[in-house]
Amino acid sequence: MRRASGWTALAAALVLYPFVDRALGLHTIHAVSDGMVYVLLALGLNIVVGYAGLLDLGYAAFFAIGAYAMALLNSPLLGSPLYGHAWSFWLCIWAAAAVSALLGVVIGAPTLRVRGDYLAIITLGFGEIIPVAIRNLGDITVEIGGWRPIERLNLTGGENGVNPVGRPYLPGVSFETDPAPWYFLILVIGALSVWAMSRLQDSRLGRAWMAIREDETAADCTGVNPISTKLLAFALGAWFSGFAGSVYAAKLQAITPGAFEFQVSIMLLCMVVLGGTGSLKGVILGGMLITVFDRVLLSQTTFFVRWVGRTIGIPALTTADLTLWRWFFFGLGLVLVMLVRPQGLAGRRVRPIAVVDDVDQPTVQEAAPAARAESIPPWLRERVQRGGGPESAPILEVRGLTKRFGGVIALNGVDLSIPRGAIVGLIGPNGAGKTTFFNVVTGLLRLDGGRITFDGASVVGLRPNAIVARGIARTFQSIRLFPHLTALDNVLVGQHCRLTATVTGGMFRTPAVVAEEARARARARELLAFVGLGGKGADLARNLAYGDQRRLEIARALATEPRLLLLDEPSAGMNPRETETLTELIGLLRRELALSVLLIEHHMEVVMGISDRITVLDYGTRIAEGGPQEIQRHPRVIEAYLGTGYEDELAARRGAR
Amino acid sequence: MLELADVHTYYGNIRALRGLSLAVQAGEIVTLIGANGAGKTTTLRTILGTVRPRRGRVSFNGHRLDTLTTDRIVRLGIAQSPEGRRIFPRMTVLENLELGAFARRDRAAIAPDFERVFTLFPRLRERVAQQGGTLSGGEQQMLAIGRALMARPTLLLLDEPSMGLSPILVDTIFQVLRDINRQGTTILLVEQNARMALRVAHRGYVIQTGRIVVQDAAAELLRSDLVRKTYLGEK
Repeated sequence: MRRASGWTALAAALVLYPFVDRALGLHTIHAVSDGMVYVLLALGLNIVVGYAGLLDLGYAAFFAIGAYAMALLNSPLLGSPLYGHAWSFWLCIWAAAAVSALLGVVIGAPTLRVRGDYLAIITLGFGEIIPVAIRNLGDITVEIGGWRPIERLNLTGGENGVNPVGRPYLPGVSFETDPAPWYFLILVIGALSVWAMSRLQDSRLGRAWMAIREDETAADCTGVNPISTKLLAFALGAWFSGFAGSVYAAKLQAITPGAFEFQVSIMLLCMVVLGGTGSLKGVILGGMLITVFDRVLLSQTTFFVRWVGRTIGIPALTTADLTLWRWFFFGLGLVLVMLVRPQGLAGRRVRPIAVVDDVDQPTVQEAAPAARAESIPPWLRERVQRGGGPESAPILEVRGLTKRFGGVIALNGVDLSIPRGAIVGLIGPNGAGKTTFFNVVTGLLRLDGGRITFDGASVVGLRPNAIVARGIARTFQSIRLFPHLTALDNVLVGQHCRLTATVTGGMFRTPAVVAEEARARARARELLAFVGLGGKGADLARNLAYGDQRRLEIARALATEPRLLLLDEPSAGMNPRETETLTELIGLLRRELALSVLLIEHHMEVVMGISDRITVLDYGTRIAEGGPQEIQRHPRVIEAYLGTGYEDELAARRGAR
Repeated sequence: MLELADVHTYYGNIRALRGLSLAVQAGEIVTLIGANGAGKTTTLRTILGTVRPRRGRVSFNGHRLDTLTTDRIVRLGIAQSPEGRRIFPRMTVLENLELGAFARRDRAAIAPDFERVFTLFPRLRERVAQQGGTLSGGEQQMLAIGRALMARPTLLLLDEPSMGLSPILVDTIFQVLRDINRQGTTILLVEQNARMALRVAHRGYVIQTGRIVVQDAAAELLRSDLVRKTYLGEK
């Protein structure tokens, strides 16, 4: 209720503002509506930077593309047939948005493989290239040999820009010099855009964006395709800038390349950062503050300063123009925000969960509740067990797997076979190639030789997220959860590859999508309960205790409905009690779900306790394979890995029981 | 040599250590065992000055530690092999070891210390020019301990040295710890692998939710019911 009233108050203020302005004779509508175009742009940037975590330093390029797309489609410059009709603007705004989205994909494509700083530099480059290109495409001449197929072609109007640009037409409303209709037009477009964005934020795509932002590799290995997800961020971010650019071009009636310089990109970034990256309300607040500051405060203060200058008699003040100082103030403001409140005005500072200060605590800490067969979600049972080849064929067959890093042979013709429904242990000294093996099987690394067959089909050359869709899930040696997402959201990302909601479906919340989301949520909650994290769905992953985080990672892997689970040192850092609970969980998964498991472990109690077969690697080569008893006595394994102390330890434990 | 008296350490509003007291005498190996989140690493961070206690006293050979900065604490003769090794990945093994000796004034005595580390860990001598990040987990652990030893500390702090290591390497590391101790270095060992830790230590403390619940000679702790049930996994 409180949130709804906040939005209502804002809406009322925005609707009443022009009337108040007119009544008070402030004449700020014009400047403010220009500013609102920038707020809409900032919201588009928020999709790219805030949701998907792609640092875009050249967003003005999208602005330029949107504005020019509208201008060229709706002006006589290129002889566009769309110009001059009553419906011109309304059609062209959608066309301009589509063109922007397309070019957004083009600009986004080169950034796909790079991260962080390099992505920022590439986008910065495009931010510079676009205005330069626009300037120079006003006079194009192409000469081949002596032939000139294109002579002095004016594609963009060059330095002079494009004018006139067709205005919107609505019966009874005049989109001329009166700023009020423009204000309401932008307001409506803005409101619809905010609605669309908030729907997206809370959808399958929104979660995929956030997963990419938190940890792209982990997202990939959880079934999210980073390529299409990033391209969608650029496309949708550009789509909204297409709207903004269109209105801007139509309102100004003339656009020139000078309006899309680097400072615009920075101002937009300031709006997003000041308001709180990722928060819709925050970006709107930040955007409005900067707009008011830039377009109202600076000019009004200039008048005041000049008046002071005239009154007191200081000639320097009478010609002062504070609006020329705007970039100084933006820079200063950005520095201050980063120092004082880096999460932005509306951003949430991530706080650790409050711990009840118990004075009296039992001396023996309770371990997490053990998983029980009854709490296995029935849908999981059904999903995992159906499908697949004949019972006798192994679920995973690896032959002659070779992987080289330069001159180092990390994996040397390794053979490994996992029978259906079996638990296979993979052990060996550090540096033997165990995690490398996982990385090759799950598609993170390309192999240099050999075959990998999963359920009868080769998975060589597939992307990690495609391999997840086939039915192989994994956990990581050092836990790779999505730290700023809740436990529930972490598990929901696991369901990503099993859901089918599209962008439009997520935006318009069709009944099918609503049902699918509800089902996914219910399943995620069941999985959390199953691994013993029942009440912790709303906790941020980074705030969970270590053992809980490990179990959450397993829940997330199970959410992908795998038939083969790869666990990389799941009990690292756990004490024997926690390790025992974990071992029982793995055994339960195999017993009840016939889930096949490949397990890297150093805790011998775990490996020897539940493995059906064990493969031992050393220096990238398989040195032994067999049942636990065999392996424990194998001389090469003892020499390379177990050590003689292990036998004594086993004896001591057996004696103590 | 080292004494923590009624230490309360907070992270923001969360109390991680609640009146923790422990002592390490010169020449001992003392181990601190406990579950994840119990406060083991926080104890080490409090000693090293990475976090400052709100209440209580930390003293080392008569000096108050809880008012000093970390680099001053290290110069007093305390070095650490941190949780997760934290070696410098883009520097070579040799450079990592050199950095261990960074705070030392006695330049002449550093050279023989390299020899000492290479004798304890022959594998490091083989890989002396290799980048730290390309070493395996076990080799990185050896490097982390070697780096700490290069500071010629009187007190060596170790945070979970056995994590992620193969059984044979765990044996090797703990053997080396015995050797280092015999050569005169006092050790405070934080460990998840309670069995190995209690076998190598003289005395042990058990920490739960930020305070010590049991302390005793290591051999006694190995026999105690509480420790056996909770930390050794026996029924």
